[in-house]
Amino acid sequence: MTRAAQLGVVAAVAAVVLAAGIVLRPEARDQTANPIPPASAAAELMSVRLPDLDGRPQALEQWRGKVLVVNFWATWCAPCREEIPAFIRVQDRWAAKGLQVVGVAIDETDKVRPYAAELKINYPILVGGLDGIELARQAGNRLGGLPFTVVFNRQGGAVHSQLGRVDQQKLEALVQSLL
Amino acid sequence: MTPRPELLELACSRAAALVLVVCIAFFARDLLAEGNPLPPALVVVAAANNAPASDAGGALSKLRSLAGGNDTAEEFLPLSKAFKVDVKVKDAHTLVAEFAPADSYYLYRDKIGFAMSGETGVSITKVGLPRGEMKSDPNFGDTEVFHKPFQAVIALDRRQVRDVTPVSIEARYQGCSEKGLCYPPAKKTFNLTLAAWSPADGRPVVAGAAPPRSASAEGPPSRAAPPAPRGQELPSVAEGPGLDGSGAHQVLQSGNLWLIGPLFFALGVGLAFTVCMLPMIPILSGIILGQSKNMTRTRGLLLSGSYVMGMALTFAIAGVLVGLSGKNIAAALQNPWVLGGFAGIFVLLALSMFGFYEIQMPSFIQSKAAEASNRLSGGHVFSVFAMGALSAVIIGPCAAPPVFAALAFVSRTGDAMLGGAALFAMALGIGAPLIVVGASAGTLLPKAGPWMQTINRVFGVIMLALAVWIISPVIPSAVQMLLWSALLIVSAIYLHAIDPLPQNASGFRKLWKGVGVIALVLGVALLVGALSGARDILQPLAGLRGAGAATAEVHATPAFERVRSLSELQQRVTQAGGRAVMLDFYADWCVSCKEMERFTFTDPQVKARMARMLLLQADVTESTPEADELLKHFGLFGPPGIVFFSASGRELEQVRVIGFQPAEKFVDALDAALKNS
Repeated sequence: MTRAAQLGVVAAVAAVVLAAGIVLRPEARDQTANPIPPASAAAELMSVRLPDLDGRPQALEQWRGKVLVVNFWATWCAPCREEIPAFIRVQDRWAAKGLQVVGVAIDETDKVRPYAAELKINYPILVGGLDGIELARQAGNRLGGLPFTVVFNRQGGAVHSQLGRVDQQKLEALVQSLL
Repeated sequence: MTPRPELLELACSRAAALVLVVCIAFFARDLLAEGNPLPPALVVVAAANNAPASDAGGALSKLRSLAGGNDTAEEFLPLSKAFKVDVKVKDAHTLVAEFAPADSYYLYRDKIGFAMSGETGVSITKVGLPRGEMKSDPNFGDTEVFHKPFQAVIALDRRQVRDVTPVSIEARYQGCSEKGLCYPPAKKTFNLTLAAWSPADGRPVVAGAAPPRSASAEGPPSRAAPPAPRGQELPSVAEGPGLDGSGAHQVLQSGNLWLIGPLFFALGVGLAFTVCMLPMIPILSGIILGQSKNMTRTRGLLLSGSYVMGMALTFAIAGVLVGLSGKNIAAALQNPWVLGGFAGIFVLLALSMFGFYEIQMPSFIQSKAAEASNRLSGGHVFSVFAMGALSAVIIGPCAAPPVFAALAFVSRTGDAMLGGAALFAMALGIGAPLIVVGASAGTLLPKAGPWMQTINRVFGVIMLALAVWIISPVIPSAVQMLLWSALLIVSAIYLHAIDPLPQNASGFRKLWKGVGVIALVLGVALLVGALSGARDILQPLAGLRGAGAATAEVHATPAFERVRSLSELQQRVTQAGGRAVMLDFYADWCVSCKEMERFTFTDPQVKARMARMLLLQADVTESTPEADELLKHFGLFGPPGIVFFSASGRELEQVRVIGFQPAEKFVDALDAALKNS
């Protein structure tokens, strides 16, 4: 084998190994994935029926015509619990003008009910269970994290989604512009 | 055929290039992986894109600013980066899950769980988690969380499957970011291969000991688990689960070669001062004094060094083999033929001590050595090296308990490199005093003469005793007693026990005669005992006593309840009724066990404390599967061994008693066990 041939072999092996290293990179898929939520996600979120705290199935559609703030949360999620008082205040202040806050709990009904009672949550809570996180994912929650908040306009179109805590003043400003 | 140098060079350069390329590839891979988090703006835009075009205009301008404060959303990591999870095989019975939350991320302790998938016959018995930090929430109370990397120790039940088993374990966990985001419950599956094991292997100590507050793998772990006693808390950053109280054990668990090396070296130095080293002395003195013509310090150092290296390498090879096989050879060595073989070697050595013959190196090596007596002959160094290797084979079974323990540890790690290095270090420790003797060029060794002859004979008797001791576990106690009696009586005759003392006998002569008479009487007692059916070597004449005396003796020791199997033990321990439990491993052939019963358990102080415990005894005289399982569960190779359980049924690893302990020491162990309950 000539020196050049040797180099060729080494280079070829190097290229293969490098390619394999990049392709097999464990995080590669996670990182480059940039799921653009399908246009149907908002509609699906509006139409899906989830049980309320009394076990009756409810769809978000029933609030179509109002500005709808859907908050995905869970009792085991500390940041979620922290912002619930803000949603209570927002509901309190703007409900008369056509706002509706709805909580979707990624949780068990038995844990949600006493918590909702204790905090005197003044808006409906639907229980999504762990599958509820899939709904949030479809609505653009790439990480599947909580809290996650989606704001719908009166036409039932999703105008905003927010991963992580929401600032009450900014939420109110957005809501005001939609009312 | 010899490889041509240029081919060799080519091969080397190619190998080097490959290694380099692989390194670059991995580096590049990490770089790419690190620098990739998507700008969060994209997330928001992605969500917004989904909004109906009709209304998007006015609202979009306000979208990004909804988050409180700065744009926190951008800092959230994907789940796989926020919480790195890996599950590794620790040994045949234990998996270790490593969780590493990123900075300012945390995992909930009570949301961590594991499940085996598939019908592999392997199940999870316990999951040991360190204590977390308390995170308090005004509305929700306290939750226990981990901000720092930690390990969960997963103990497996492998009673059903002993072969190499591929398993698939699912880790469940859930956590949040301090910046205000929680992740949904996550699952990650790991496919691992468990090594084969046999009941004779030491069961990993870790598996036997659940740390306090273990989360069950089945069902949602309960938040209401009682808090562990403060003293038992583990640090949340668990550098290896230091579940055993002893520092040495923690070092072993750590797998850190820089700690294990010195530890094994120290162990070796300890072994160097046991009777097991006696066979080494004549061999070494033969090597060094046999070369007296040109013996210099350098040469002595070189020869003894090469001897020790031969021994050390043999140990290292044993360590590597055990590490590779992942099996425990200790059990394999406990077989009558192997033990008989070693005993035979000791008898041969003893006979040479008595001067029946000289142990010499094979003549062809000797002649070679003579040829090159003036320079350092490679052949001679090699033959000394070979003698060292042979010596390792002799020391091995003699110093069985510590060497076996070392091998058992190595077999648990399954790490050949570590095993080899550990045993190499131990052998160097064993050899260190020999190297000192060698470097003295013989000045530290006793010179030939009548004195040396006496020493040789004493050594010979000790070696014969070692031979009996080695085979004692595999021979009937009657035979053992007969052998002891023969040894004692014959030695007594050599000590002139029945020869009349001459008129002007020296003091030494009288002393030796006295020793001889004692040996003779003991030997006769053993002989009479063996022939009269006694089976207790410490009380050969017990059978000749009246029946009343015998029963009184029985009542003098606290009463143990027998347990026959692990399940029976677990049942008894859980029904201990708030008492601490002491479990004594016993066998008829276990001399130390009988000593414990006779001298330690009868002590009033000991009895008073034992009365406060539930006393269980596992009789492992017969090697039944149940008995093996019991031993294995506690990582014991055999009796004597005493383990304690707290009133809550947890084994108190730190107060184990292995081997004979006098009453004063045993009282401390009992106090520790009672205190921890």
